[in-house]
Amino acid sequence: MKPFVLWAVLALLCPVALPAAPEVASESLPVDNSSLVRVNSTNQPYDFFRPWMKKAPYMRRGLGVVLADRHILVTAELVANHTYIELEKADSAEKTQAEVVVVDYECNLALLRPMNPEFLAKARPLKLDSGARVGDRALILQLESNGLIAQTPATITTITVTNYPMDRLSLLTYRLSAPLQNREGSFTIPAVRDGRLLGLLMRYDGRSQTADVIPAPVIAHFLKDAKLDKYPGFPRVGVSFASTRDPQFRRYIGLRESGGVYVTEVAPGGPGEKAGLRRGDIILSVAGKPVDQDGLYDNPDYGKISFSYLTSTAAHSGDTVEFVVLRDGKRETIPVTLTPLDRSRIVSEPYIFDRQPRYFILGGLVFQELSRTYLQEWGGSWRKDAPQRLVFLDTFQGDGEKFNGKVVFLSQVLPAPNNLGYQNLDHLVVRKVNGVEINSLDDLARAAAAPVDGFHKIEFEGDPTFIYLDAEETERSKKQLMEDYNIPSLQNLN
Amino acid sequence: MFLRFLRISAWVLLTAVAVPVQASKVADSLVRIQATSQEPNYRAPWSGGQVISGVGAGFVVSGNRIMTNAHVVSNARFLTVSKEGDPKPYPARVLHIAHDCDLALLTVDDPGFFKNTAPLEFGGIPAIESTVSVYGYPIGGDRLSVTRGVVSRIDFQPYSHSGVDAHLTIQIDAAINPGNSGGPVLQNGKVVGVAFQGYSGDVAQNVGYMIPTPVIARFLKDVEDGKYDRYVDLTISYHPLHNPAMRKALGLKDDNTGVFVGEVYGGGVADGILKPGDVLLSIDGLPIASDGTVVMDGGDPVEMAEVVERKYRNDKVDLEILRDGKPMKVTLALTHPWPFSLQANAYDEKPRFVVFGGLVFQPVDANFMAEHNPDDLRLRYTFDHFITHGIYRERDEIVVLSAVLADPINAYASEFRYDIVDRINGKPIRKLADVSAAFKEPAEYYVIEMAGNGRPLVLERKAVEEARNRIIARYGVSKEENLEK
Repeated sequence: MKPFVLWAVLALLCPVALPAAPEVASESLPVDNSSLVRVNSTNQPYDFFRPWMKKAPYMRRGLGVVLADRHILVTAELVANHTYIELEKADSAEKTQAEVVVVDYECNLALLRPMNPEFLAKARPLKLDSGARVGDRALILQLESNGLIAQTPATITTITVTNYPMDRLSLLTYRLSAPLQNREGSFTIPAVRDGRLLGLLMRYDGRSQTADVIPAPVIAHFLKDAKLDKYPGFPRVGVSFASTRDPQFRRYIGLRESGGVYVTEVAPGGPGEKAGLRRGDIILSVAGKPVDQDGLYDNPDYGKISFSYLTSTAAHSGDTVEFVVLRDGKRETIPVTLTPLDRSRIVSEPYIFDRQPRYFILGGLVFQELSRTYLQEWGGSWRKDAPQRLVFLDTFQGDGEKFNGKVVFLSQVLPAPNNLGYQNLDHLVVRKVNGVEINSLDDLARAAAAPVDGFHKIEFEGDPTFIYLDAEETERSKKQLMEDYNIPSLQNLN
Repeated sequence: MFLRFLRISAWVLLTAVAVPVQASKVADSLVRIQATSQEPNYRAPWSGGQVISGVGAGFVVSGNRIMTNAHVVSNARFLTVSKEGDPKPYPARVLHIAHDCDLALLTVDDPGFFKNTAPLEFGGIPAIESTVSVYGYPIGGDRLSVTRGVVSRIDFQPYSHSGVDAHLTIQIDAAINPGNSGGPVLQNGKVVGVAFQGYSGDVAQNVGYMIPTPVIARFLKDVEDGKYDRYVDLTISYHPLHNPAMRKALGLKDDNTGVFVGEVYGGGVADGILKPGDVLLSIDGLPIASDGTVVMDGGDPVEMAEVVERKYRNDKVDLEILRDGKPMKVTLALTHPWPFSLQANAYDEKPRFVVFGGLVFQPVDANFMAEHNPDDLRLRYTFDHFITHGIYRERDEIVVLSAVLADPINAYASEFRYDIVDRINGKPIRKLADVSAAFKEPAEYYVIEMAGNGRPLVLERKAVEEARNRIIARYGVSKEENLEK
């Protein structure tokens, strides 16, 4: 167990974590295009409405940053669901194939490596910036079509902890003000300061001309973890909290100190729960830093930022962070050993990339496991347009309901003679099949292997509460279904 | 003008036709209704809403009564009716109003009004393709208008006035526009329907709907005892039984009969009597086909719901069912199902609310949702699934914190807006009256817990008392609670 404070220091010194060339502190190098490489990623996501097939491929272009060890850093978004990644030199347009070394969708970063190691022989790796502050100047780099660098001046206006695109993690973010022009290859755009990589853009708002940047400290964290045998992911405590600004609320909970936040929810199985944090605890300090009424603490570099910086951005899985809480009027010190999210506890996956969604087709009835990616097939306003029961289960993760695994649901019925009368059924959550409780598609596949009295009985939580299929006809329908609907396999349980 | 007529656009060309021979007689029975109504105010529920006026049509029926649509006279504060050729507007009042089938009966106390009027008689269901004439006062002028069209379709359709009811409806291709509402549709001198809803020209053209005589006759019979008891319902969902495996598993022959029960809504008339999975074989002795239709009076197959549609409160319905392969007979006593009214548009009701410490608490119903249209997922889900997921078993109604009348004592309460109130000082909140009662209990702190996992909202009694008059004066809160509809 390392004392936590060390990590805060480490975050500042993160360039030393890279076995790159020795550091030259005051040097301000101009960045040339040998540190950048065009990345063209052909991506092909699965069709979650027809999980046995992929959608049409499309290409995303971005500007990767060459780092030490001939690795190339891009945003995860650029290479999500990739089938083929191509690197292209900025000046010569020479191309080679690349592969993904590590990808983390939650911090939106991916590390690539050229298949041909010689490809980057002459490249000049960029080092990571450190010590950026609000008000600092930066340059946002894009490539002109002739391979020359286009530099857009930018200023860091805010440093804060915000939600990252997958809506799972809040990490450090730099907000830059910059009049950026739209150019080809905008899926990864680097920003530099004094010749060092300040970060990668993850959002740009053209109207307000502000860019949210994944900053060097988050990149350093990602690179450090990427060196491990198994990439652990960013840790989190697994607690939700509410502000204690309301003086009436403070008096009611007996909070006399000036700071502190009220724990509203502790994720089951998360580090917070394992360490003994409870709803109603008042968090007074984290890693020795006093936490104010809104959950902010005073960071020496960035000013007031959320204490989750100390548990996610600046800490690594396995670290222990001390929480001081007020419980029943007494102060208690609770060491919390940080881990990444336990995915087995997730009722509805927040995202599925790079793999085929799981499904199981029984007599034309298509069963799937609920995921946000499935719901997002309804488009931008999926929260309103997708089936509300499923949106509710995804949003609240089955909170207060009996789910001991995944939500398995009937997504659609492929009409066939054996499912006559059921062809309008869709989006029904499955509870039991042939008398067996269903908590995953594996359960369903096992249950479907054991029909009762020649029937499959499928029980739903909604209306209708159950239906029957003829087991023999279901078995016979398999070949026809695959032919009629052009389905290569009636199941994917991987 | 009535713009509440279902999605009718403001301007549609009227099909003017020559006034038929008997028009003068019909005109004697036709009335123009001028309604001044006040919408309820669900944002500031202690005060009244906007006052609007509109025009609709009606016609004289037996017993010195005038028939029109419920939506013409809903929320009415003042009604006048006028006859063709009589310049005087006569004040009128509502005798009976049926929001679930969009019909109302009015009367005029001035005995002179009904002189020289002849009650119109009712006919039957007109044949498809036969011609009908529509009378009313649609936009485009002030005098009587007559349009003519053919009967296009006879079907079950939703009635948009309540938003949750569906009854037999006749579709015609005559132009029906705002102001036609409540006007009679005639064939051979007899009323075969009451014009009531249509589509706006950009959705569908030449589609107008009228309420047919079986629905009108049911309404007239229901009110014979002096009050309207509303429609009754089986309070179940049922599904067709087409699947051979399902039929076999349920012990049925392959003879295209029977439907199976999907859900039995708790608190409804079938609760505790029918079970999901029961097969319904016959209703009042009429065999039920596997698509849920029955043949009544030797005519075309109709939805089995039509059997119940023609019944009245406290009537009985006999069902033959198959449960676990065994035939059984059950009888349901029909009463009005309470949980369903939550999702219907309500009229002639005062918004209910409680104001405490500048926090406004309201029960959620269709009117509330239409006015506030909250984005909150939990609230929308709870409202939409109130019946289908049996949420009404946990609470009689959904009470939310609907607004915060800003004051220093509730400066941190706005984040709780549209949260569902679960408990106050530990007491479960099942209905609005529970909120009122909880705040009347003496306590140092009022701890309001919301559904979900947020922090509780806490108000200090002392602070609330100090702020009370200040908030009432500042926001013009003329009344701090209304618990009655």
